[in-house]
Amino acid sequence: MEQARPTILSMRHITKEFPGVRALDDVSLEVATGTIHAICGENGAGKSTLMKVLSGVYPHGSFDGEIVYRGERVAFSRINDSERAGIVIIHQELALIPELSIAENIFLGNEPRGVLGIDWDTVRGRSRELLARVGLDEDPDTQIKNIGVGKQQLVEIAKALEKDVRLLILDEPTAALNEGDSQHLLDLLVGLRSKGVTSIMISHKLNEIEAVSDAITIIRDGKAIETLDIRDGAVDEDRIIRGMVGRTLGNRFPDRAGHAGEVFFEVRDWTVQHPLTAERLVAKQSSFTVRRGEVVGFAGLMGAGRTELAMSIFGRQYGTWLGGTIVKDGKEIQLRSVSEAIANGIAYVSEDRKALGLNLLDSIKRSIVSAKLGKIARGGVVDALAEAKVAEEYRQALRIKAPTVEMGVDTLSGGNQQKVVLSKWMFTDPDLLILDEPTRGIDVGAKTEIYQIVRELADAGKGVILISSELPELLGLADRIYTIFEGRITGEIRAADADQETLMRRMAPTKGDAA
Amino acid sequence: MKKTAIVALAGIAAVTVALSGCGRTEPGAEGGDDAAGFAADASIGVALPDRTSENWVLAGDLFENGLEEAGFEGDVQYAGSSNAVGDQQQQIQQMIDSGVEVIVIGAADTNQLATQLEAADAAGITVIAYDRLIQNSDLVDYYVAFDNFHVGELQAQSLLEGLEEKFPGEEPWNVELFSGSSDDSNSAVFFDGAMSILQPAIDDGTINVVSGQTTVQQTATEDWAAENAQNRMDTIITSSYQGVELHGVLSPNDNLARAIIASATGAGFPVPVVTGQDSEVASVESIVAGEQYSTIYKDTRALVAAAIDMVSELQAGEEVTTTGESDNGAVEVPANLLEPVIVTQENAAEAYAENPDLEPLTQP
Amino acid sequence: MTNDVQERRGFRASDLSMLAGKKGSLKEFGILGALVVIVVAFQIATEGTTLSSNNLINIIQSQSYILILAVGMVMVIIAGHIDLSVGSVAAFVGVVVAIAMNDWGLPWFVTILIGLGLGVLVGAWQGFWVAFIGVPAFIVTLAGMLMFRGLNQIIGQSRGIPVDREFVNLLAGYLPEVGPFTGYNNLTLLLGALAVVAVVVLELRGRAKRVRLGAAVPPMWVAVTRLALVAIVIIAAALLFASGREGTSFPNAGILFVLIALAYAFVTRNTSLGRHVYAVGGNRRAAELSGVRSRWVDFFVMANMSVLASVAGMLWIARAQASGPADGGGWELDAIAAVFIGGAAVAGGIGTVAGSIIGGLVMAVLTNGLFAIGVGSDWIPVIKGLVLLIAVAIDVINKQQGRFSFIGLMLRGLRRGRSNDLS
Repeated sequence: MEQARPTILSMRHITKEFPGVRALDDVSLEVATGTIHAICGENGAGKSTLMKVLSGVYPHGSFDGEIVYRGERVAFSRINDSERAGIVIIHQELALIPELSIAENIFLGNEPRGVLGIDWDTVRGRSRELLARVGLDEDPDTQIKNIGVGKQQLVEIAKALEKDVRLLILDEPTAALNEGDSQHLLDLLVGLRSKGVTSIMISHKLNEIEAVSDAITIIRDGKAIETLDIRDGAVDEDRIIRGMVGRTLGNRFPDRAGHAGEVFFEVRDWTVQHPLTAERLVAKQSSFTVRRGEVVGFAGLMGAGRTELAMSIFGRQYGTWLGGTIVKDGKEIQLRSVSEAIANGIAYVSEDRKALGLNLLDSIKRSIVSAKLGKIARGGVVDALAEAKVAEEYRQALRIKAPTVEMGVDTLSGGNQQKVVLSKWMFTDPDLLILDEPTRGIDVGAKTEIYQIVRELADAGKGVILISSELPELLGLADRIYTIFEGRITGEIRAADADQETLMRRMAPTKGDAA
Repeated sequence: MKKTAIVALAGIAAVTVALSGCGRTEPGAEGGDDAAGFAADASIGVALPDRTSENWVLAGDLFENGLEEAGFEGDVQYAGSSNAVGDQQQQIQQMIDSGVEVIVIGAADTNQLATQLEAADAAGITVIAYDRLIQNSDLVDYYVAFDNFHVGELQAQSLLEGLEEKFPGEEPWNVELFSGSSDDSNSAVFFDGAMSILQPAIDDGTINVVSGQTTVQQTATEDWAAENAQNRMDTIITSSYQGVELHGVLSPNDNLARAIIASATGAGFPVPVVTGQDSEVASVESIVAGEQYSTIYKDTRALVAAAIDMVSELQAGEEVTTTGESDNGAVEVPANLLEPVIVTQENAAEAYAENPDLEPLTQP
Repeated sequence: MTNDVQERRGFRASDLSMLAGKKGSLKEFGILGALVVIVVAFQIATEGTTLSSNNLINIIQSQSYILILAVGMVMVIIAGHIDLSVGSVAAFVGVVVAIAMNDWGLPWFVTILIGLGLGVLVGAWQGFWVAFIGVPAFIVTLAGMLMFRGLNQIIGQSRGIPVDREFVNLLAGYLPEVGPFTGYNNLTLLLGALAVVAVVVLELRGRAKRVRLGAAVPPMWVAVTRLALVAIVIIAAALLFASGREGTSFPNAGILFVLIALAYAFVTRNTSLGRHVYAVGGNRRAAELSGVRSRWVDFFVMANMSVLASVAGMLWIARAQASGPADGGGWELDAIAAVFIGGAAVAGGIGTVAGSIIGGLVMAVLTNGLFAIGVGSDWIPVIKGLVLLIAVAIDVINKQQGRFSFIGLMLRGLRRGRSNDLS
């Protein structure tokens, strides 16, 4: 069992070109049966392309090189071919239909036939077994839209198991999950491994990779750089990062300046009602303060109400405001709309870059100036030269990787898109920036750069609110951290005095005690 | 840099010179009277409305062949069905520009061609209104059509005869009235002709319009669409004919007549006495079978022939044959009005004897 | 020349693309190419009629109202909506204006104000339902299509209602003949000359400003060549339009259309309002979170469309010299087709005024040319339908693979064939 495990998959000399770009350049990958094999690399390195080559999204013949799967050369020309062979890919964007039930989703396109159409008893029975296997305690008739992202991820895996999966590919499976759900998912992968299911996991979360995977292949700029056996514990995070970025990163978190200024922004007794359910409060008498030059962290589980709190402050963009006041620079202010919030120097970088942060049809230039066009317009007419100049300044200052600011933001990687969003809000001259999960789905190199920007903003005297699900990020970057549980602020702690455990206990008081 | 500028200027100059050859000649050279006649092989424009009825398609074919036989070069165009007036305006303008001598117009809308008539007049082109009289313009030179007022009279007479024949002694007869599309100036003429006979009968109680709808607006059928007629008949039956017998319907044409019969029989009534017009194949079959009561035969062949005769007379510089004048709101237009024929089961064979398409239908 | 420092010397193939303009207007360039091909093809097929003075005037007279609708429609579509009511609104406004003139005896300039006012009211009505109640524009304007068509026929009692001569002369007429006899319409030539001067001055001033602010400018030869090409087109057009029949010129309706097109092209490209329309269509929620008042943007585009529809309606009754019950039939479809041929996206966020106008001209020239060569009216919708389908399909394929090329398509087919052989 230790040595010479049989190889389930070997991809040899894969080269895939798009017009003008070589996305994969002679990449080879060996995956041993019954292992969890991690693939790491910065965004745009070619990880997803490699998996699309494997699963037949890019049909055989559209790339060079060969794929040997379970001892045979294979040529998948569409995704169904690979699924029939037992290779199932679970994408970052889940492919479940929200209006259908769990059971219906699991058997979608693969419904067992009875005498009278679909055999629903079999569907429900099998679903129940599969849900038990993935450890999901839900009625198979529950609609997908009524369960959380974490549970949806488990349904996807159940769906894969139903197809008799031998090789499971997960693309950033825990990106959208909170700590608890992530842990559950990882445990499940380990469990599947013991039953002989091989997994390939694309992930940015190095601690997770370290915890569960057996081997790791690092891809950089379309080339496979190295494959590390990490079972013996000789490989640590820094080693992996070095492989990914091709150099050693210094301290991932910039040094704190130390002294924050006076309190300039204060929220008192903020209470907000859920937009649909009147009896549900998403913020309950929440009060907090922000000082100049300070990074204030907000920690909480998914659904605790962090985003809801932030968006309700930012021009009442979430729920119904029931009560509470906002005081800025000693004066009470009203933020009834986004324009009022912007005018009062508040900026909000949303957690969902693509859906809420950017118009993906726009160029970098137009995106950067979009939140405060008035600054470069006279009498409603945009000064194209001023616009180009401003955009160019930000491109250089934030090191946005694009040849010109005329490029569409849809062509940028996640990290660079996030830099555009940050530029857009910095352009509004805010006093307070609310950053909601600013590094979600961003690779390690870009993360470090964004940490640097956040720190610089604080050092320039701005207040920053940092909402994050990654506790090390909060601990490393914030000066002070508020914890939120079920819409209520449950604690406030200086980052220097906190560790992950103390934060977790406040983020999930009852559950934490029970576990 | 300098070189580029020179090349650019040279290019501009070249285009200017090349195109400046096409300026106008001194004014006053063209125009003038159309009495003098014109070349025997001249082109003649024929602008017809959209292709949605058999009659217009037939007319178009007859014009093409007839003009060719008469030695002219015919340019026959139909308007599209969605923006018929706009298409027709453009087509007439194109005919004017291409130098036709006469334009025969079957108007898509009889009120909206004034600008084109002005352009035709300026170019010295003679305009013949075909079948539909273009309104409110003194620039319509001639009009050739069937006598539409008389069509209405004949329809009303046959309706009364049919009622007498099928429902003798059941007066007052319950009757409904339909008129044509309100954007067609003929609709009101048909209806007025019919009402000149029916109004006395309504007044003396011989017939009873149960729905009470007796004006041309109330009875209009938009776009001459069968669907609209059927909907209106359905609605009237539901609202006015619960337990009341329906004896007859005045229908302005065959297409609507069939829709009306479908509506009545669909509601469980026996086939009422229904008039028609155009002698469409389906209606002639229906008349022979004893369903639709009557239709009007306006021989498209005769009408097209009359229009082409008119063109030939103009070409030769002869006096144009007219039977009278028609008022279009601006002027009395010299007109050649042909006599329509009423056709029932009785005289069908006789009426269609000369028509190769319809004649076989009348044979048992 | 002191700005030589800024100027890149020498020639590169990539510079050629700069002739097309500043932004990546490759798409518009493509449609423009298609238009040129169609014009040339008909010019040959009709033995020179297509580009004759009288025919060009005919095209402008018969299409300016559709082109004006396309200008409004592209903004509606960019914002992610649609307007099916434009034909009916035009007919409704037309009949009221005609009645105001004919039955009420109001002077023509008052009736024009009434028409515009009515456009504003109708637009506010439709905009209100779309923006503030949230009824989809498709439904609101479908309702409007029915309602305003009916109102046209109720108010006009389905009659043809004639309009005043002054009104006709203004909106469907031509520039007067002034000055000495030159063989041309002098005012048209003057307009052409003014347009050339304006283009040159604007280009040079813009260039000077860029240089002053230290921004990059394309090499001078590119600017000169571009200006020369534009000047040639304008001068050629002016000469052609000036040499039609006696008493004709570049049509007044065409002048109105050009002014409207320039104004809206400016608004969509260079103003905050224009940016907001694109932002709402591209990503409504992101726009709202950037401070854009999306409802007011919705209201504006819908209301604006109805105002332009009222202008189109008035142009039409002037051309037809009467309003009628079938006015505006099918206009909405012509305008929408023009916008999509011009490269707009069904989902919103993408589209340009220039593209839509070119799209409208493609359809216009196609119709005109097919009439001229005697293709039956039954075939014309078939051909137009196919053109619309193919134009949008090319656009879609373009998006899927970067750039469209038939060679690429064929290679892909070959590859697929090969892979099937192997497996």
